[in-house]
Amino acid sequence: MPDTLVPGPRPGPASRAARRRRAATGAALALLLAVTGCGGPAEEERAGAQPTGSAAPGAVAGPLCDALPSGAEPGSPASLVGRPPAEALAWIPVLTMFEAAVRATGMAEELAAAGGLTILAPTDDAFRATFSTANLDRLLLSDTETLRRLLREHLVDGARSAAELVAAGSVTTRAGTTLTVTAAGSGARLADKAVTVCADYRAAGARVHVIDKVLGDLPHTADEEDQHH
Amino acid sequence: MFSALLAAALVATAAPALAQPGTVAQAAEPNQVQGLTVTQGDGFATLAWTRVEGASDYQIERTALAADGTPGTPVVVGVWRPNRQVNNTEPTFADAGFAPGGRFQWRVRARFGTTEQPYSTPVDGTTRSHWGDPGTPGENLRTQWEQTLGAQYTSDVNEYAYTAAIDEASDRVRVVEIGRTVQERPINMLVIGYPKPPATPEAVAATNPLMVNCNVHGNEPGDREACLIMARQLAFTKDSQTLGLLGKTTVLIVPTINGDGRAANTRGNSTGQDLNRDHSLIRQPETRALAEMVRDYRPIAGYDGHEYGNTNTGDLPMLPPRHQNVAQGIFDQSQDMIEGHMYGRGAEDGWWACPYGCTPGANVGLSEETILRNTLGLKNVVNSLLELRSSGGPTRPDEGNTANNRRRKTYSALWTFTEFFKYHGANVKDITRVRDEGVTSQSANDGRIVFRGSRKIEAYPAPHPGEAPPPVDAPTPDRILEQAPCAYRLTEEQYHGERTDGPAGKRTTVAQRIAAHGWKVVKVADGYLVPLAQPQRGLIPLLLDGQAVEGLVAGERIAPTLTGTHNGPLTVSGVACLDGATVRGPIQVRSGAALIVTGSSINGPVNAADAAGLFVTDSRVSGPVHATGTRGPVVLVGNELSGPVGVSGGKATAPLLAGNTVAGPLTCSGNAPAPTNLEVANTVRGPKTGQCAQL
Ligand SMILES: [Zn+2]
Repeated sequence: MPDTLVPGPRPGPASRAARRRRAATGAALALLLAVTGCGGPAEEERAGAQPTGSAAPGAVAGPLCDALPSGAEPGSPASLVGRPPAEALAWIPVLTMFEAAVRATGMAEELAAAGGLTILAPTDDAFRATFSTANLDRLLLSDTETLRRLLREHLVDGARSAAELVAAGSVTTRAGTTLTVTAAGSGARLADKAVTVCADYRAAGARVHVIDKVLGDLPHTADEEDQHH
Repeated sequence: MFSALLAAALVATAAPALAQPGTVAQAAEPNQVQGLTVTQGDGFATLAWTRVEGASDYQIERTALAADGTPGTPVVVGVWRPNRQVNNTEPTFADAGFAPGGRFQWRVRARFGTTEQPYSTPVDGTTRSHWGDPGTPGENLRTQWEQTLGAQYTSDVNEYAYTAAIDEASDRVRVVEIGRTVQERPINMLVIGYPKPPATPEAVAATNPLMVNCNVHGNEPGDREACLIMARQLAFTKDSQTLGLLGKTTVLIVPTINGDGRAANTRGNSTGQDLNRDHSLIRQPETRALAEMVRDYRPIAGYDGHEYGNTNTGDLPMLPPRHQNVAQGIFDQSQDMIEGHMYGRGAEDGWWACPYGCTPGANVGLSEETILRNTLGLKNVVNSLLELRSSGGPTRPDEGNTANNRRRKTYSALWTFTEFFKYHGANVKDITRVRDEGVTSQSANDGRIVFRGSRKIEAYPAPHPGEAPPPVDAPTPDRILEQAPCAYRLTEEQYHGERTDGPAGKRTTVAQRIAAHGWKVVKVADGYLVPLAQPQRGLIPLLLDGQAVEGLVAGERIAPTLTGTHNGPLTVSGVACLDGATVRGPIQVRSGAALIVTGSSINGPVNAADAAGLFVTDSRVSGPVHATGTRGPVVLVGNELSGPVGVSGGKATAPLLAGNTVAGPLTCSGNAPAPTNLEVANTVRGPKTGQCAQL
């Protein structure tokens, strides 16, 4: 079954009109056609490369934020505000493993649960530092029960900012694990293990904090030999 | 697009001195880099400068310029090291990762050890936007990846829509479905020719096509994005040089054989099978689709796209088919494509092509015939692996930014595939010659069989583009079979029996897999014979011999029945196999019998009527050869035949007549399907008539 195309993010200020035109055409083809009219892709892209300042409603914090889409770029924090959580994850380019795991386990609805959710999303680097490619394939393709438990180690009820997590001192994940939370710069340190590297993305009913380590206690398999080529 | 690149190069080369008259008079500081030029390519900019005597490396700095020229924060985006290119006297660096269309300023400085020397005078330039005029239909198509500035990869449905839109807007492109994945996703291929692609696979095969396999590992998507962009360029470019090349051949682009794995972000397919360990065994529908494509469209050259995790390797690790059963010419030509073309062109454009497995102690890039690189080589296709270094590594320090990293990888792949197309165009005579030699030398079934083991790749002469050559990977004695059998015999159960390998509901028999490879099989009274006297000889034992490392089935080795001299008439009933034999007298192959002749000399007519199969390769026949009403295959390859030669009334499979010299007439009639030569021409001095008129 083909997966459905994730529609474009909500417009940033620089190209709102252009993006609204695109969004209006709907469907997969909308993403194919370059924006025409006075702009053209080059102009739009150059505009996109310029940060639009901190007035954006989606202020995020952490050392990795500078390397992620910002300003008016597709996938910027501002563009993800109010998007369903599973959709927002698909726009944060360092979360391809986490995002694929959400789809593999069919957990998109759980992420959008009433009452809100805090999503501690490990980067692709974090997944690769923890699991071998073969292990990741196994989790994504056949051992989805284990993967679901692993994802729940990264979910906390209630949409909480990094500052609120730190203030709470500890939180309990949906897997039932209690994590101590301490301050780490402007962000949070979790279970003395992971730190937020870009915190406080706001999706609809959810906060997404990108973290640098995989939580939970699954065996570390990254050192097992992987095949290349 | 090539002439456009050239024009841009000329302008940019002249620009710095003219553009900055104020700096011309300034005396150069000691060890300051001089002569910096910036040439724009598709998604990259080539920086070139004059070498500074004594420099240990160079740093490349890029600064974004706002519309009013206000510079942003300078960033060191590249480090040039001496192992980067084969020609150190003219250093170059392909800067990439920036969003296309932006305006930047570049500077380069040398370092002596860790001591930084003065920066060069800056050179500024506007990078190329996404290829294609936004106001021109077709050209203005963009992939999801381009549209999102690299934040998202192109999804399956977006690929289908994008390729369908190209097909719709361009006469040059036809999208064909070559198979389906386990989860029933279409596996599409773009067939691209000018002014339009030939109508049938057979007609495409006649144009010496080249193929790019873009995405076998679902979690390595960078090459696929390059393929989709290249398809648009080929579909709509007005560049006369590109159209000239496209008018003579056909480009076959397979964006995604592993659509399920791409959607799931897994290396394997939906069953977890690594498809690049399945190209010989073809247990999976994805690899079977590609094997059937290769059988039907018969590309003469290929590239197989991947990404690779080692941060210390080059930008573009490459490797030829190394398995020792690959014909020498195919290996040599593949090496020429990599070392002779890609290393040299990489040094000109600033991309760091290097041998795969080039870090000391690496244990990758070996001889598994399950890997497409080797499988294609065993099928006489000149080809290379392509890896895109996954992370920026020490030479591209600004790739913590995911979009920068993704763009560098994809545009380096686009550069490689474009160069591949150019190499193919410039070397098609050599490539077809080694293909011809591969077909004839393999069909000769001469020399030992190696089950696993690689040809050695020597270190490139210094400065070599990498740290070390690939691992030696020589065959161990237990992986060598000195005396190749004449054929393998499979039982009915082995050939048609149900298999347990492969996904439920999509399992295939040995017969179906052999058919997908395109091997010739002879039905005999007690089973099925697969003679080695055919073009994929080197692959056959790797699947059918009990000693194979990853075999399909342990067939019975059939040894030659005659290797010496036979005087007088020879009548064949059952199965006869002549290897290095001399026969002085007529040979009569009886109804239902099979004759396989390799490296032999026959003085007398050869007559086969209603035979089960007739194979004659690498032999000399003085006297007529006639195969009439053959029930199975007729294979005549690489022989010297006095003629006349007549093949008529063949049933079930196309007779193969390739690379023969026939002194007399050649006549074919009433064969269904009609005879083929796999594009390996015969030299016929007498008249060629009937179905063989074009062979
Ligand atoms: Zn790969």
